[in-house]
Amino acid sequence: MARVVVITSGKGGVGKTTTAAAIATGLAMRGHKTAVIDFDVGLRNLDLIMGCERRVVYDFVNVINGDANLRQALIKDKRADNLFILPASQTRDKDALTTEGVEKVLTELAEEFEYIVCDSPAGIERGALMAAYFADEAIVVTNPEVSSVRDSDRMLGILSSKTRKAEQGEGAIPARLLLTRYSPARVDKGEMLSVEDVQEILSIDLLGVIPESQAVLNASNSGVPVVHEDGSEAGQAYLDAVARFLGEDRPHRFLVNEKKGFFGRLFGG
Amino acid sequence: MPRDAVNAPSGTVQAIEFKGRMMLVSILRVNSAEAPALAEALAARMAEAPDLMRDMPLIVDFDALEALPAADLMVALERIRGHGFKVIGLQKGNAVLDMVAEASGLPILVLGGKGGTEAAPRPAQSPPRPAPEPEKPREAAPAVHTNTRIVEQPVRSGQQIYARGGDLIVLGAVSAGAEVLADGHIHIHGTLRGRALAGVRGLESARIFCRRLDAELVSIAGHYRIAEDILDRERGENRLVTLAGETIQITEI
Repeated sequence: MARVVVITSGKGGVGKTTTAAAIATGLAMRGHKTAVIDFDVGLRNLDLIMGCERRVVYDFVNVINGDANLRQALIKDKRADNLFILPASQTRDKDALTTEGVEKVLTELAEEFEYIVCDSPAGIERGALMAAYFADEAIVVTNPEVSSVRDSDRMLGILSSKTRKAEQGEGAIPARLLLTRYSPARVDKGEMLSVEDVQEILSIDLLGVIPESQAVLNASNSGVPVVHEDGSEAGQAYLDAVARFLGEDRPHRFLVNEKKGFFGRLFGG
Repeated sequence: MPRDAVNAPSGTVQAIEFKGRMMLVSILRVNSAEAPALAEALAARMAEAPDLMRDMPLIVDFDALEALPAADLMVALERIRGHGFKVIGLQKGNAVLDMVAEASGLPILVLGGKGGTEAAPRPAQSPPRPAPEPEKPREAAPAVHTNTRIVEQPVRSGQQIYARGGDLIVLGAVSAGAEVLADGHIHIHGTLRGRALAGVRGLESARIFCRRLDAELVSIAGHYRIAEDILDRERGENRLVTLAGETIQITEI
């Protein structure tokens, strides 16, 4: 039975697509057959982050409209076996995502894949609602700042009522928090909300904390999901999050400001 | 803030005073002006809870009937009043509606969050609309003032919960940007960061209890205090909000 996971946030620019790419890649690296879908129709990005933008022929909307079949549209990832990408259409808008169409595609994917990761667009409009509607669970990506937390809170409210499961009376789908761009040093200076602050406001389980890292930016620019950079803290934090997602118990790392000693400062790090 | 006139200069009694008050007003949205359908619906609603309905101030929303001529809307309006409903205004609409307002002597009201660029002054904008439930089949006349509504989930930004005819108990937090309302008391067993309005239909003895208060707004029976008027020392754990005369008081429990 495939599990549909939506990566969502409300606010834009907090790291949804980076997270969708990292989580999907991480799941595939752990041996689970995974598809990742870009729901950001009109502003596609996932293919860039996944480094497959030059191999896009057909897209999600083509499949919904029956212009292409799923097999033609799915792009096999070059680095991770078990990973396939369904890119968004650049030329259409989000109205092209019909409930029936999305359901049809997800049902078909479910026959073949263990995990279906849905990369939601920002906002709370149609694209975001469609990405969440069929989800079995949600990962809410939040930055440690007030507006992002508030938007995530809003999104959690929507998730509790606007999914198929909720409409069928099965209640809210499980949602977990992934805090990205976390900088313990800035938390110490009071420039950023702490993990505890964010958790206190959102009151949901913590899936992971991804430290602010140049590696994430480099990864996006080069089209290689950051989990492949296993020397980077961000890459490790994402792999931890994937392990927790799969039910493993891992302590949270990178939460405190590691004060560099004299030699540390001298030799950088 | 209600500016009490007690401090009037020379102690003379003023003939009139203006007071800013918030109140909850229900909106009657008319989806059809067809005589039999409308009459039937009005009669049915009135029969459900005649005492409640007769005292309930209503704003009529003709938005769905924009295409109809003024004469038809006048007939519909008279029908609504004829069934005993207390219409206090019309929701802003097109030019035809302005004619209806003129002819009926009712004011046009601009409601918060309803398009319209005119920035209504804050109190006028604030009366929260009752939870959007135009059809309301479920709300069918429960025993008034005995209803306690319990919410087990946190109330998230953008959500609005109204306990009609009774108290509201929230087990989690009420987020910034969320709003909880009750005709009776409100108990929040988490942090109140959003807005809480108790006694929205005028119960002045209504109270708000919360485990931690860091609110955007608290209101009792239409009197309210916004975040700016809530002092730092009034924020904190285990707070009780009451109405004393015309003043909202926040004390530690």
